[in-house]
Amino acid sequence: MKFFIDDLPVLFPYPRVYPEQYAYMCDLKKTLDAGGHCVLEMPSGTGKTISLLSLIVAYQQHYPEHRKLIYCSRTMSEIEKALAELKGLMKYRSKELGHDEEFRALGLTSRKNLCLHPSVKREKSGTVVDARCRSLTAGFVKEKKERGEDVDLCIYHENLDLLEPHNLVPPGVFTLDGLTRYGEEHKQCPYFSARRMMPWCNIIIYSYHYLLDPKIAERVSRELSKDCIVVFDEAHNIDNVCIESLSIDLSEDSLRKATRGATNLERKIEEMKSTDAEKLQNEYSKLVEGLQQAEQAREEDQFIANPVLPDDLLKEAVPGNIRRAEHFISFLKRFIEYLKTRMKVTHTISETPPSFLTHLKDLTYIERKPLRFCAERLTSLVRTLELVNIEDYQPLQEVATFATLVATYDKGFVLILEPFESEAATVPNPVLHFTCLDAAIAIKPVLDRFSSVIITSGTLSPLEMYPKMLGFTTVMQESYSMTLARRSFLPMIVTRGSDQAQVSSSFGIRNDPGVVRNYGTLVTEFARITPDGVVVFFPSYLYMESIISMWQGMGILDQIWNYKLILVETPDAQESSLALETYRTACCNGRGAILFCVARGKVSEGIDFDHHYGRAVLCIGVPFQYTESRILKARLEFLRENYRIRENDFLSFDAMRHAAQCLGRVLRGKDDYGVMVLADRRFERKRPQLPKWINQAMLDSETNLSTDMAVANAKNFLRTMAQPFKSKDQEGISTWSLADIERHEAKRKAEEARMMHGEVDPAQRANQIPSTLAIIEDEYDDDDIDADMLMLDAQ
Amino acid sequence: MASKNGIDRQDEDEVCPVCKSSRYLNPNMRFLINPECYHKMCESCVDRIFSSGPASCPVAGCRKTLRKNRFRQQTFEDIGVEREVDIRRRVMHILNRREEEFDSKRAYDDFLEQREEIIANLVCRTDVAKTEAQLQAYAQENMQSIKANQLLEEQEATSFQKKILMEQEEARLRQQMAREEYENERREQQATREDFLTRLASGSSVDAAALAREGNKVHLKKSSARRSEEERIRQKQAALRGSEGKRTGTPLTTADTAGAVAGAGFIKGLRKIKTPEPEKPYDPFMGLVPGKRDYYTQLESYPYAFLDKLRADTTVQAGGYALQEYYSRTLLEAFAGLGCFVQEEVAERDATSALGLSKPASTEGAAMAAVGEKAA
Repeated sequence: MKFFIDDLPVLFPYPRVYPEQYAYMCDLKKTLDAGGHCVLEMPSGTGKTISLLSLIVAYQQHYPEHRKLIYCSRTMSEIEKALAELKGLMKYRSKELGHDEEFRALGLTSRKNLCLHPSVKREKSGTVVDARCRSLTAGFVKEKKERGEDVDLCIYHENLDLLEPHNLVPPGVFTLDGLTRYGEEHKQCPYFSARRMMPWCNIIIYSYHYLLDPKIAERVSRELSKDCIVVFDEAHNIDNVCIESLSIDLSEDSLRKATRGATNLERKIEEMKSTDAEKLQNEYSKLVEGLQQAEQAREEDQFIANPVLPDDLLKEAVPGNIRRAEHFISFLKRFIEYLKTRMKVTHTISETPPSFLTHLKDLTYIERKPLRFCAERLTSLVRTLELVNIEDYQPLQEVATFATLVATYDKGFVLILEPFESEAATVPNPVLHFTCLDAAIAIKPVLDRFSSVIITSGTLSPLEMYPKMLGFTTVMQESYSMTLARRSFLPMIVTRGSDQAQVSSSFGIRNDPGVVRNYGTLVTEFARITPDGVVVFFPSYLYMESIISMWQGMGILDQIWNYKLILVETPDAQESSLALETYRTACCNGRGAILFCVARGKVSEGIDFDHHYGRAVLCIGVPFQYTESRILKARLEFLRENYRIRENDFLSFDAMRHAAQCLGRVLRGKDDYGVMVLADRRFERKRPQLPKWINQAMLDSETNLSTDMAVANAKNFLRTMAQPFKSKDQEGISTWSLADIERHEAKRKAEEARMMHGEVDPAQRANQIPSTLAIIEDEYDDDDIDADMLMLDAQ
Repeated sequence: MASKNGIDRQDEDEVCPVCKSSRYLNPNMRFLINPECYHKMCESCVDRIFSSGPASCPVAGCRKTLRKNRFRQQTFEDIGVEREVDIRRRVMHILNRREEEFDSKRAYDDFLEQREEIIANLVCRTDVAKTEAQLQAYAQENMQSIKANQLLEEQEATSFQKKILMEQEEARLRQQMAREEYENERREQQATREDFLTRLASGSSVDAAALAREGNKVHLKKSSARRSEEERIRQKQAALRGSEGKRTGTPLTTADTAGAVAGAGFIKGLRKIKTPEPEKPYDPFMGLVPGKRDYYTQLESYPYAFLDKLRADTTVQAGGYALQEYYSRTLLEAFAGLGCFVQEEVAERDATSALGLSKPASTEGAAMAAVGEKAA
């Protein structure tokens, strides 16, 4: 269907549009017009991706700027899905418009997924593929070949040079599969085609890391122009991604490897000195001049800033004491040796970068200045030495990045040395965590560079947390509810077991037999009444294991066994995927299955249990993080000191977003239905922190239930759902046709006009005022009802 | 911090190269080194060989004479690095120029590289004698500046330490505050709740609704009041923190590097030191002394009959008439214009404009001079 938002014609590839999709697109357009960042929460399974893509494509094609879209998603399957949707959209557009638009969209993923080279693609590990690919495609390898030396080249990569550099692939949308197929047919490397075509693409779809991880962003994304529209989809975990991309863990083993790398480099330098001293001299004189070239490029505003290479560093020359290659190697060795001595401690240490630096200086006379240049200097050296097997130097690179970061940032980072893996362990296995505490550092270059950054997901509540944590201001911040023609999902909070005792996974009572038994009966009851699939989420693997073993002892598992096949998620990815496969098969056949999994595990993120794969989801306990972790403690303290976010607020926010994420797994569309149960007494007070769309659908009478009542409710609900439901019933309410949109627009316009003239009739005023009040004083609501009830009692 | 207790974990089968006893037999074995030759041996060997005075190193082929008191534990696993750090420590103590002493960043970088070169020479044992000689010469010449810079470094270290300690203390306080705040809030919430319940229990059922509404409002008011109070405290704290930061943040004075010029032959690019002129006391009148005149000095009194009469007359003086004033005014009038040289000015004027009506200003000046002479 085709409709207009203001003056923008939007082509939507489906005959109906959901009201929330329409609202989403309107807000998106406002944001793009205003030129700022926004945070949008849209219920899962309401076609977020397609509305986003169809609006932005329309925007791109209609306005003369043709702003590029960078769409970042989390997993490969999501990237593939988005590309497929985009393909469908473009097909629809060309059918509607009657001609093909000049349009290119590509997805980018790792070499491992795209490689075509017959021997390289058979490698299993991603790093090995990267390294081998580099050894076949690097610039100096080709130079060597031209000089007549006998080196291997990748024919797929070589073929690219024969093509026009800006027309490696024809216009159109390529899914990752499609791109590999095209590469196979034309004997060209899909990975490099995608990377080199990035400047000429209208839409690029790739993973977060290509934009947020400074090491990758430096290579892949730095040439993107300023007016790009950046979208982070499924972004509820974006703060963790930011933090992970700047955190470094060093173990004894990696330090040993780093030493080996340094020794290798030393040997290489000696070799080069005897054969090609000129090259080293060239590098040296270049360094004397400073990193000015890089600076020039940045001044011209070509590149995105890099947190590992701060701006002021570019303006200076490399300090004299690491200018010469051999001095730099001895410098690195000293630094690594120092880290090794630090590893020998037997108690946990947590310290700030400045105090680390002072101690470092006392012991080894390494100053801050040269440390800051470490990463850059190492890159330059590696380039000069023309090393082929870069993967050997990975640990060394890590140490150098660590050095640069520790010397650059005083605040927002903490060093934590943990000598033992767990508290019970006696054999030391020290790990030096260099942890980023401030999510804003990694995302800052992105927010600064691009004028429109859109953060969107199904679960972003509370919305104001994200701008606070990531350090930016929004022009639009909106949460949409779900319009439904019938109540298709039933969220409930169970606070008491069937014996009226409270249930909770809080540390004090989680192993109490009564609580475990109550949870057991809850699961058994739901296994009994729910058709097909049931998913149960636990707060942690540890708790899941203990509770399952206790259930085994109580005979609860045997009871569940009567109704469903039981499957369990494990930390091992392959085992879990097998379990998932079996679960799906079991859901399609017979009585269905029950899947036990963990709220922070793989299943809770990105795996959908649509339709009969998930008719009920149970969240056993509040999925809090493990609060004794030092890293988490440091982060909490940082958040409190710098962003005024209280420890408990953050912990509960984090737990609730994971819980909401789990609940969202079962509802993947408007014709889908499912029961959502939150089983913990603490959920009752955390209810306002749930996303708006879940919260709205929850009746007040369903927030404090015992197991029996919940089961009775669910039974009723499932019986209603079993009634035939025609898609016609949804029309005009939860799906809109063009006429509905027009009606809505006309109504809105009329209302606006009336507001402008100040002729608000009393009825309408009465309607509007409470609605605004309700937002401000949400707390009143419940009490009003309570008060009414009391009045009734009195009469 | 890290390596205070060196006996944490080394390999089980580590063997002393001198007595061949292994850690397996003696789990408390500690290894020591001597910075003369950096050969590793166990503690008991050190006791055994060196207790009775200096002896030569027991490692074959090494004939260095070692003393027991120089033995120490090794900080770094790699002996090479250990030795390099020792050398570096010595060199850094001598060549401790600071960046602000150099003309440019480039000169400082060159210095850093030079220092690195020297250390590398000493570590690799190339040109040791020559380098050592250079170092000694430099150390003697620049004794003063080396001392000054060392002092400065120490100062920096201690002030940094102080700052860190203070920050830690502050963080602790803030944490405590936050905890207390949270506790208070919880307690208050509980109290209002309890109060509410008791009132509900004791009151009649009719006013329950009103009570409920009121309770809610009170609670809201309280929380908003508390919030504003918190904000106020926070601001105060922030202000306090800022002032403290300023106090501690006073910049360290850079060392006065007397005698820096002496080292100029060895280290290039040093900034030339200018000794500033000793400052004179401040003069508000820019050299002008109030009572002083160029051509005369005023006396206490002048013999003049007319004035003698006045001096004796108290009725005149009672009104505030001072003879001194009269003297000074008359004298000033008499000597005014003595600094002007009319002829010169006339010549100048004639030179600029050929035709000009010259005024007989010279006569005036002469007359005045005559009066002045008479008065003196």
